[in-house]
Amino acid sequence: MIQYRFGAEGDLTAPSDDRLTVGDPRVIDFLAKLARKLLAPAVARRHPELGSLGFFLRPAELNRTVGHLQRDDALVFPRGNVFHIPPANVDTIFVYSWALSALAGNHNVVRISERSATAADTILTALNEVLADADPVIGRTQRMITYGRDDKVTAALSHWADLRVIWGGDSAVEAIRKHPLRPSARDLTFPDRTSWAALSAAGWRAAEPAQRRDAVLGFTNDSYWFDQAACSSPRTVFLVGEDTGDVREEFIELLLQVVDQRGWEIDAAMAVEKRVNAYGLAATGAVSSMAFPANSVTAMSLSAVPDAPRRWIGAGAFPFAEVGSLLELVPAMNRQDQTFSHFGFSRDELREFALALGGRGVDRIVPFGSALTFGSLWDGYDLPREFTRLTTLVE
Amino acid sequence: MSSVFTLPQAAKEELLLKELSALTEHHRENCEPYARILAANGYQPASSVEGLPWLPVRLFKNLELKSIPDDQVYKVLTSSGTTGSEVSRIYLDKAAAGEQTRKLGATVQSVLGPKRLPMILVDTKAMLKDRTSFSARGAGVLGMSNFGRNHVWALDNEGHVDVEALKGFLDQYGDEPFLIFGFTYLVWLHLYEVALENGLDLSNGILIHSGGWKKLVDQAVSPEEFRKRLAAVGLTQVHNYYGMIEQIGTIFLEGPSGGSLYCPDFADVVIRDPETWAEQPVGKPGLIEVISTLPTSYPGHVLLTEDLGVVHGVDDGDWPGKRFSVLGRLPRAEARGCSDTYREAA
Repeated sequence: MIQYRFGAEGDLTAPSDDRLTVGDPRVIDFLAKLARKLLAPAVARRHPELGSLGFFLRPAELNRTVGHLQRDDALVFPRGNVFHIPPANVDTIFVYSWALSALAGNHNVVRISERSATAADTILTALNEVLADADPVIGRTQRMITYGRDDKVTAALSHWADLRVIWGGDSAVEAIRKHPLRPSARDLTFPDRTSWAALSAAGWRAAEPAQRRDAVLGFTNDSYWFDQAACSSPRTVFLVGEDTGDVREEFIELLLQVVDQRGWEIDAAMAVEKRVNAYGLAATGAVSSMAFPANSVTAMSLSAVPDAPRRWIGAGAFPFAEVGSLLELVPAMNRQDQTFSHFGFSRDELREFALALGGRGVDRIVPFGSALTFGSLWDGYDLPREFTRLTTLVE
Repeated sequence: MSSVFTLPQAAKEELLLKELSALTEHHRENCEPYARILAANGYQPASSVEGLPWLPVRLFKNLELKSIPDDQVYKVLTSSGTTGSEVSRIYLDKAAAGEQTRKLGATVQSVLGPKRLPMILVDTKAMLKDRTSFSARGAGVLGMSNFGRNHVWALDNEGHVDVEALKGFLDQYGDEPFLIFGFTYLVWLHLYEVALENGLDLSNGILIHSGGWKKLVDQAVSPEEFRKRLAAVGLTQVHNYYGMIEQIGTIFLEGPSGGSLYCPDFADVVIRDPETWAEQPVGKPGLIEVISTLPTSYPGHVLLTEDLGVVHGVDDGDWPGKRFSVLGRLPRAEARGCSDTYREAA
């Protein structure tokens, strides 16, 4: 049973005579109108995350992205047919994934989860409103659907696709990969990721009280927005320096205040979940102490850096570990690690850290407050490039 | 009739604090993961039952927690969780296994008397062969069947009510006290309606039932309504109970006048505020912590459940001690992240 959420109904895999170009003006026009709708005050108030999406889709941004794609040594074309399988619970990913692919001129089919939440419905409503006045080619080439347990649909779309984009972690990638692609096609996968935060004790101590507070505000947005379960949400906090007990104490104190002021609520079920996970970490010896100052914040002391958990342990659950320098963290980082949020470090320290990692782990090193900000460089990919193909022309 | 529901709350707490503090020390010495948890949580000896360190009951699904060496393990009990994939593992040595059977017996004899009674099992024998549902339901039925004799199964192998078998049983034993055991929703769906339709006389029956109210609440049948309707077919001796495999042998039994569960002398409950984690006053709902002296081979003596409950009163009911109700289950917390499991088929 296919439910059509956006675009023309009918055979999704039928050959099409429609052609879009990279940076097609009809697509840019469509996305710009969508951006305006998402940036409307009423929408942004209800779903602040749609505001960031709207910002991302402004014409200036889109034109810059298209500009980056152009090159002297080859002609740039759409990749072809793209099948997107976004995650169920981060409501905006499907739009980022789709919009960049549409901007690259591809024909897209996006599978929207049955479990998608209210922000997704708001976006779909906006998409359909814009579609009503858009060039009909948009609806014919861009489709969003919802379907339940139906391997046949997934198989057919996998066979249709030149590129299959799989979000939603390891299990999603494994489940979808059971369906073969055509030999010329390939997958763009977004497996399970882990993200970290690091706080320079020296930088913290040198900062003004207002800067510390702002840092914590940014950190809470990064952490609490998707119940600390987005792949970019920081989990373990590394305290970099010596005798960092005072820094940790003040950080937790501010965290409790800010979370309370912002009204992030942690319900009883989540509080129990965090206890189960924290006790479990204590039982194995991975954490040597745990504190539950409020349901909103669970603080743990890691016994050793390599014990830092890579799985989700609840909303507002923070293992802490002290290290002498960022370089000490390098051996503990691996390919699974995505975002490393930082506060209080110098440019040189961060650069030295990134160079020492050498691409073996960590795709994004960003300041507190920017962990969730989506960019067209994601998970180590230049997404617009992934959505295009190159033709060499030598005269 | 000898009873395990005898101790007023103050006397019980004095006894339990002593025994459970000793058990806490015992488990700290013999179960390393437990000792680590207590150390990480800044353990101090408790000065009240409420202050005893508790473990979330779900830990038994994630960890191997036992206070006996491997060669002393006599029985491993497993329970399927609500998600089906997670299973609690409870390790018993011979002594703990024997004690839990004795204490369960003493508890039910508090309402049945010392003699084994003819017994109706409101279930199907076929269920015992079903590997998937055996662990939880089968263990409950088998455990309870020890307290009866001349058993009859109320349901045939297809799960239909065996009216002839019930009639035969009642012809033979219906004039003396007999025991009825079953899961609450099976009793409601099969025994109550069939008794009503066929005019079965259950007035000498003593019903012991358990298994949660969710399925009945979905049909808008409250515990009060359940009791009232059963009384209409003559069944007035009705005892619901609350218990879990993680505290095997301990059941909290409904008193004769209904509406409240009572704690046997070797067990207690603490209702906790899910915000402050302190004990709730009488009348305020919270999470149920169950306390029992029976878990000696694994650190399950003080467990925070994910059930919600409320204490209605202390030393003011059918039996002494706290009387309480189970109100429902806490929903399971779920992550709404981008690496959420792709649960729908691809």
